[in-house]
Amino acid sequence: MTKTMRVALIGVPAVAGLALPLVWSHPFVLHIAIQALIWALFAASWDLLSGYTGQISFGHAGFFSIGAYTAAILTKTLALSSWIGMPAAFVLCGAVGLGVGFPALRLRGHYLALVTLGFGEIVLLVATNWESLTGGAFGMHDFGTFTGLSGDPLHQRQISYAIVAGITLTGLAVLLWITRRTEAGPAFRAIREDQVLAAALGINTTYYKLLAFTLSAAFAGLSGALYAYYIQLVSPSIGASSQSALVIGMAVFGGIGTIWGPFLGAILLFGITEALRFVGVVYNLIAVGAVMVVFVIFVPRGLAGLRLRRRGRVQRADRRAAESAASSG
Amino acid sequence: MLSVEDVSAGYGRLEILHKVSLEVAPGEIVGIIGPNGAGKSTLLKTIFGYLPPFEGSVRFEGAMLAGQSPDRIMRRGIGYVAQAGGIFADMTVHENLVLGGYSLGSSRAAARSIEKIYDQFPRFRERARQRAGSMSGGEQRALAVARTLVIEPRLIILDEPSAALSPRFIDEIYGTLADLNKSGIALLIVEQNVRRILDSAHRVVVLDMGRNAFAGASEELRQSDRIRKLYLGEDAG
Amino acid sequence: MVEEILEFLILGFVLGGIYALFAVGITLIFGVLDIINVAHGEFFALGGYALYIAMVVLGLPPAVGLVLSTAAVFCFGLLVYPLLIAPLKKRLGRRAPGPLFLVLTLGLSALMQNSMLAVAGGEYLKVPPAMTGGIDLEFTYVSNQRVLIVVVAGLTLLALFLFLRFHRQGMAIRAVAQNPAAAQSVGIPLGRVFTLTLGLGCALAGLGGGLIAPLFSVYPAVGFTLTIKAFAITILGGLGNLLGAFVASIIVAIVEALSVLVIPSEWQNAIAFGTMILVLLVRPSGLFGKKQP
Repeated sequence: MTKTMRVALIGVPAVAGLALPLVWSHPFVLHIAIQALIWALFAASWDLLSGYTGQISFGHAGFFSIGAYTAAILTKTLALSSWIGMPAAFVLCGAVGLGVGFPALRLRGHYLALVTLGFGEIVLLVATNWESLTGGAFGMHDFGTFTGLSGDPLHQRQISYAIVAGITLTGLAVLLWITRRTEAGPAFRAIREDQVLAAALGINTTYYKLLAFTLSAAFAGLSGALYAYYIQLVSPSIGASSQSALVIGMAVFGGIGTIWGPFLGAILLFGITEALRFVGVVYNLIAVGAVMVVFVIFVPRGLAGLRLRRRGRVQRADRRAAESAASSG
Repeated sequence: MLSVEDVSAGYGRLEILHKVSLEVAPGEIVGIIGPNGAGKSTLLKTIFGYLPPFEGSVRFEGAMLAGQSPDRIMRRGIGYVAQAGGIFADMTVHENLVLGGYSLGSSRAAARSIEKIYDQFPRFRERARQRAGSMSGGEQRALAVARTLVIEPRLIILDEPSAALSPRFIDEIYGTLADLNKSGIALLIVEQNVRRILDSAHRVVVLDMGRNAFAGASEELRQSDRIRKLYLGEDAG
Repeated sequence: MVEEILEFLILGFVLGGIYALFAVGITLIFGVLDIINVAHGEFFALGGYALYIAMVVLGLPPAVGLVLSTAAVFCFGLLVYPLLIAPLKKRLGRRAPGPLFLVLTLGLSALMQNSMLAVAGGEYLKVPPAMTGGIDLEFTYVSNQRVLIVVVAGLTLLALFLFLRFHRQGMAIRAVAQNPAAAQSVGIPLGRVFTLTLGLGCALAGLGGGLIAPLFSVYPAVGFTLTIKAFAITILGGLGNLLGAFVASIIVAIVEALSVLVIPSEWQNAIAFGTMILVLLVRPSGLFGKKQP
């Protein structure tokens, strides 16, 4: 398959899929599509840190929550535009990520996962208990949506969709660019495979681990800010550990370690769970659990891996053929 | 009693052993030698079931071992002493021996057997309550050997029993092994210390690059200039 | 003041008993399988539901109910290794598992928690106390249910330690935790030990869930907060260190209970996490841990 063909094969349906909600502008379809895109950015951000770099975060909803609250507080309390709120959430969460990343440098594997889980719980507690800032258990509302939207509800949703899709896809492109086109990508992968070896190869593991933490938290925070402006309600539960579990489930579904796998996985899984809402609210969460269990055991590379694995098999067969040709010749 | 035929094995997709064969007769001491990376330890691990062979057969007293797990293989009467001994360092000497008899089920049979081992190795009776990991390297190795005796094995497989031991302890452990062999137990020993194994073993198998390179009586090997030069790192003559 | 402190100390011991049952189970599973069971809290909740079924639905006496509910959770726990962990282990072969086992048990947690929600609904179910009445200590009143928790938790943990110390299967569990390859070489089947360990660990959680049910009510997420707290405790105690987990449970519970005197109760939950993070920064292997992470 040539490269142009592949780009066309992926690109055309992707663009068509993206444009569909604008053409077929049913408010409910737009509502689902916007949320799916927000989750997709969130899942991709988790994957950069945990899938790509191998530093497991079990508290990523904490960053999402901080981003959402930052947006809400800036807009409600300081009456700032969403165009300031979103970059502010991005920068602040990046800084928080750096702050969490520093102590996490000393920890690996299980310990890191548990500490990030604790971080998420602390964010949840602060959001619940710091009432004067966060509105306590009921959260914050009425801080407004994206600045400058028209009053017409359908039109408002269409524009929101365009904004969210634009920011999310830019985020995805940036993450893919960093991991594929800069020296950070190989460094991240080396850290995931063997930290000691990576350091021995001259990779500045401290720098790259902190970079992954900062970027991942920043994009998680950005997705939180998008959520806040679109839903126009933030409450402590958006930072609950079940949200972290959900985003991990999405990443596993799509295939961790590929950035675009979790992005796609989130959109699909969110669609499935929303569809299951018609069956019953509980069943969609059961489905998420089942997907995680089944995929980890039977499809550990997720949807993204289905294609990669076949390619691996072909490569191995090629190598074997080359070897036998060499030995017989 | 043990026959390994055309066994290929390795880790993951990496093949380390290529069609290796060897035999151990009842009451025999067989040594396996060869340069580093020749696949000696891999061979033992494959025989004892830690690694499944890619192909070939492993038979013990007529029964197929290939594909079985170590805990089943040992129940046929095979003891295994891992490279560093593989004792339970945080447990007492006595607990190590009790676990040696785990497969016997009935604790009375095991207790009788352990009593016999204490008679054979009186120093373990004195140290029964001591943490096994706090003993010297030589004693830990001896404990690992003693632990296999609880089930009264007919064959013991040892992976470098002399590794990292001082000459005095090497003498001791080989003395013990010679005694065990006199009582009728066959031994299959991987050894880096070639002189030592040539003195003890009846027969020696040389592995190189994962293949059989030579097999014959120890005496024969000692006579062969080529083998000495190639595998023992000596100048002929 | 002194009376208040004593009162909260007693509360600390009651909670400490529950934490210890929970954290020792997590630690046991981690020590033997090298897996952190994120779904541990769901077995705790399952214990509560099983007790509810036994006592309220079937009308069995409390003692029988508690034994049966714990046995039921034990049986559920026995399934975890053969159904979930063994297939993934087999698939992985010698490759490094990375986060996969964490994700697997996280998925199990979501699956179990929401299945309980689907079956039982989200309401808080009341379970009658196994014992009524109490002891009047003048400054405070200690209900017999609380005494029962401390006594049963203490005796169970003692029995567990004796089992691990002296029983053939208990020794096999310790042997696998120390050196799995050597354990195999003396004839211990790893699969059976892993299965049994998960059963035991989950049963401890189930017992805790049953014991505390009359005080806390039963609902699907009852165990999840406890799971997170128990992670903090197991880290403080040094992952894999049973005695450390026990001591850390008591300490955390007492500090939490006493902290009410000093800081607002809504921040109580932050104590365990905060302490965990602080300890990890100073000693990355935990207070009593020797293994480097």
